[in-house]
Amino acid sequence: MKVQRGGMSRLFLRRSLFGLFTLWVVSLVVFLATQALPGDAAQAILGREATPERLAALRAQLHLGGSLPEQYLNWLGHLLSLNLGTSLAGGMPVSDAVAPMLLNSTVLMVCAAVIAIPLAIGIGTWSALKKDTVIDNVTGIATLVLASLPEFVVGVLLVLLLSTGLFHLFPAVFVQMPGAQVWNNPAQLVLPVLTLVVAVSPYIIRIMRATMLEVLDSQYVQQARLKGLPERTVILRHAIPNAIGPVAQVIALQLAWLIGGVVLVEYLFRFPGVGFELIDAVTNRDMPVVQALAIIIALFYVVVNLLADVVTLVANPKVRTAS
Amino acid sequence: MSVERRSKSFRLVTALALGASLLGMAACSSGVPSGQGGAAVSEPQHGGDLRVGIVGGSAKDTLDAHSPVTHPDEARAIQLYDTLASYDDNHKVQMSLADKITPSDGGRVWTVHLRDGLKFSDGKPITGADVVFTFLRITDPKAPTGGAASLATLKRDALKATDAHTVVFTFSSPFATFPDIAAQYATGIVPVGYDPKKPVSSGPFMVQSFTPGQQSVFVKNPNYWRAGQPYLDKVTIIDFPDDTARVNALLGGQVDAIDQLPLGQINVVKANPTMKVLESATGSWLPFTMRVDQPPFDDPKVRQAFRLIVDRKQMVDQVLGGHGTIGNDMYAPLDACYPTSVPQRTQDIAKAKELLAEAGKSNLTVDLVTSPAAAGLVEAAQVFAQQAKAAGVTVNLKKVDPGEFYGDQYLKWTFSQDFWFTRDYLPQASNSGLSNSPYNETHWNDKEWTDLVTKAQATTDQTARCELIKKAEQIEFDRGGYIIWGFPNSVDAYSASVHGLTPDKSGIPLTSFGFRNVWLGK
Repeated sequence: MKVQRGGMSRLFLRRSLFGLFTLWVVSLVVFLATQALPGDAAQAILGREATPERLAALRAQLHLGGSLPEQYLNWLGHLLSLNLGTSLAGGMPVSDAVAPMLLNSTVLMVCAAVIAIPLAIGIGTWSALKKDTVIDNVTGIATLVLASLPEFVVGVLLVLLLSTGLFHLFPAVFVQMPGAQVWNNPAQLVLPVLTLVVAVSPYIIRIMRATMLEVLDSQYVQQARLKGLPERTVILRHAIPNAIGPVAQVIALQLAWLIGGVVLVEYLFRFPGVGFELIDAVTNRDMPVVQALAIIIALFYVVVNLLADVVTLVANPKVRTAS
Repeated sequence: MSVERRSKSFRLVTALALGASLLGMAACSSGVPSGQGGAAVSEPQHGGDLRVGIVGGSAKDTLDAHSPVTHPDEARAIQLYDTLASYDDNHKVQMSLADKITPSDGGRVWTVHLRDGLKFSDGKPITGADVVFTFLRITDPKAPTGGAASLATLKRDALKATDAHTVVFTFSSPFATFPDIAAQYATGIVPVGYDPKKPVSSGPFMVQSFTPGQQSVFVKNPNYWRAGQPYLDKVTIIDFPDDTARVNALLGGQVDAIDQLPLGQINVVKANPTMKVLESATGSWLPFTMRVDQPPFDDPKVRQAFRLIVDRKQMVDQVLGGHGTIGNDMYAPLDACYPTSVPQRTQDIAKAKELLAEAGKSNLTVDLVTSPAAAGLVEAAQVFAQQAKAAGVTVNLKKVDPGEFYGDQYLKWTFSQDFWFTRDYLPQASNSGLSNSPYNETHWNDKEWTDLVTKAQATTDQTARCELIKKAEQIEFDRGGYIIWGFPNSVDAYSASVHGLTPDKSGIPLTSFGFRNVWLGK
C-alpha cells in the first residue's frame, strides 16, 4: 500500500521536473526562433518610415543589441526573479500588458470548457446507449464532419449563420469599451465561445462513446445489471466513472489545444486575449512579450497534461482502491 | 427579339447610370459638399458618438503628434492636432491655424502668421512659441520624426517667433513647397513642453482614453477654433487588424464607419440600403520599383521594356477590381503641373522583346520582392509575373512578410514594390527622388533631373515652376525607375445615418479622417 502511494507522489514529482525541463527547452527554442525572424522591433515599429537616422535613434532608445547568449541569459535571469521585462512596442512592463489579456482568454476558455465538457460527455454517453439508432448515426456523422473542419472555418460559418447572414442574433466581432471587462457584454462572448465549443466537443464525444461502449460490454456492468441495480445507477455509478479515465486524457489534449486554437479564434473575432496579443507581438517583433506568452502557453500545456495523468490514476480503480 | 429588347434596356440603364455619374461629378467639381447620395441637404446636427473601425493598429499605437505610422495613428493625430495649413478634398493647400504663410528672399524665408484667438484644449493660447517648439521637436536631430526628412534644409537656430502671432522660418536653400509641408498631418501644432502621454489638443477633439491595439475615445474640444465644429460629442476609433472583422462590425452595427472596404465586399455593402460606400479617385500609387544602379535595371532599355510589358488596364481591373485609374509611369497626377500631353504608354510586347534583345537580356529571369504591406501589392506582383511571360521574362515572386520587407533590405531590394499617398510633384520628389531623399527606393540619381527639380524648388513663380516640373516628369517617363501602372481609388463604407463624409483625393481614408465635419442624423 505504502509503495503504491509513494509511487504516485514520486510520479507526480518526476512529471513536474520533466515539465520544468520542457519549459526551459521551449524558452530556448522560442528565443532562437524569434532571433531567426527577419527584422527587429525598431524596424517593425517604424515600418515604412524606417530611415537609418530614425532606426538608430529608436534602437538606442529600446536598448536593442548585445550578443545572443547575453540576451538569453539576461532574459532567463529576469524570468527567474519573476520579471518579464518591458514591452518594446508599448513601453509598459510585460506583466501589465499580458495580465488583462490572460484574464480575458481564461474567461473565454473556461466558458468554452464548462459548456463543452459536460455537453460532450452527455452526448457521447447518450450516443453509446442508443447504439446503432438514428441518433447515434447522426451524432457520428456530425462529429466526424465538425472534427475535420478547422476552427476558423467553424467560426466564419457561425458568423454567417448567426450574425451577418441568415440571423442577426449576436455581434460578429468583439469590441471592448474602455473600463469594461469582457464579461460585461455577454452577447459578444457567444460566438467565440460557441466556436471553441464546436471545435473541441466532437473528439470528446467520439472517445466518450467508444469508451462507454467498451465499458457497457464489460463483465462488471453485466454483473451490476444481473444484481438487479436500476439502469440509472449502473450508468452513473459503475459505467461512467470507469469510462472517465481515457476520456480525461482526450479532454486534457483538447484543453491544451484550446489555448493554441484560441489564437485563431481570437484573431477572427478580434477578442482581446493572449492569442490576439501573440500575433501582434510577433508582427511587432516584440520579443519580451512573445517570450512571455510562449512560456505561459507552454506552462498551461504542462499543467493540463499533469492534471490529466493525476485524474487517470485517480480514476483507475486499482490505484484508487490501493490507497 | 427578347435579346434585342434586353440590350436596349441595358443601354438605357447604362445611359442613366452614366448620366447620374456625370451629375455626381458635376456636383463634386462645383466644390459644394453635396448631400449624401443626392439626399436632401439638411443642417448638421450636434451631438452623438461616432464609432469608426480602422485597419491596422497594434501594441505600438501612439498618440504622438509627429510619429504616426499606422492608419489608426494618423486618424488619432488628425483629431488631436491641427496643422498650420491643410489640404481640402481637392488636395489644394488651404490655411488652417495660420491665416497667412508668405515667402520672401526667393523662397528662403517663410513668415507664418497665426489666426487670432486660437486656444489649446487646456485653454492656453496657441502662440508663435508653440509653433517654434513644434518644429524644433519635429526636426530634433536626437530623435528625428517622420517629418524631419522633408525639413532637412530648415535652419533650426534661425527659427524664431517675432511676436505672439508670427513665426519666421529660414531655410538654407529656396523651399517653394513649404506650405505643403505645413499641411502634412504629421506636423500638428503642440504646446511648449508637450508630453505625448498627456496630450494637449489643438485639433477638434481631445483624448479621453487610449488603449494601444484596442481603441481610443475622443471628446469634443470646447476651445476649437472653427465655429460650430466639431458636431460630434465623441469619436471612438477602434483598431481592426483583420478585414473580415472590420466589415462584420459595420454590417453588425458595432461601428458606424470603416476605412478600406475590401474589394470583394463593395457590392455586398452597396446592396445594403442602410449602408453607403464612399469612393474617391486619388493620387495614391502602388509602383514597382526598379533599382537603376543594379543590373539588369541599370540599362534604361530594360526599364523601358518592363514598362511596356504592363497591361495597365488589366492591372487596374484585376488588382483593383476596376476601382482606380491607369497610370503613365509618372507620379503626382493631381499636381497642377502634371503633363497631360505625354501620350499614354500601353502594352507593347513586341517592342519590349526588341528592347530586351538590344540590351542583350532576352529570356531574362528576375526576382520580384512583394509583401502584403499594403492592399493590392501581392496581387499586382502576381499579375505582372503573368504579363511578363509573354515577353519571355521569367519573374520569380519572393513574397515576404512586412517585417522582412521593412527589415535590413528595406530600400535596397533590386526589384520590388511600394505604396504612396497623394502628393504634389515636388514634395514627392524630395521624399523619393533625390540622392539624399529618405525613401529613394529606385536609387535614382539623374543629374539633369536633379538640376530641374532643384531649380523648381527655388522657383516661386507658378508658371515657370510648372515648365520645370513638366520637363522633370518627361525624364521620369523616358528613363525613370518606377513602373506606375495605376492610382487606386480609396473605398470606405459607412452607415446611412452618418453625414459629412465626402470624396477626397488625398488617399487618406474617410475624407482624410475628417471627423470634425461629420454629424449623425436619423
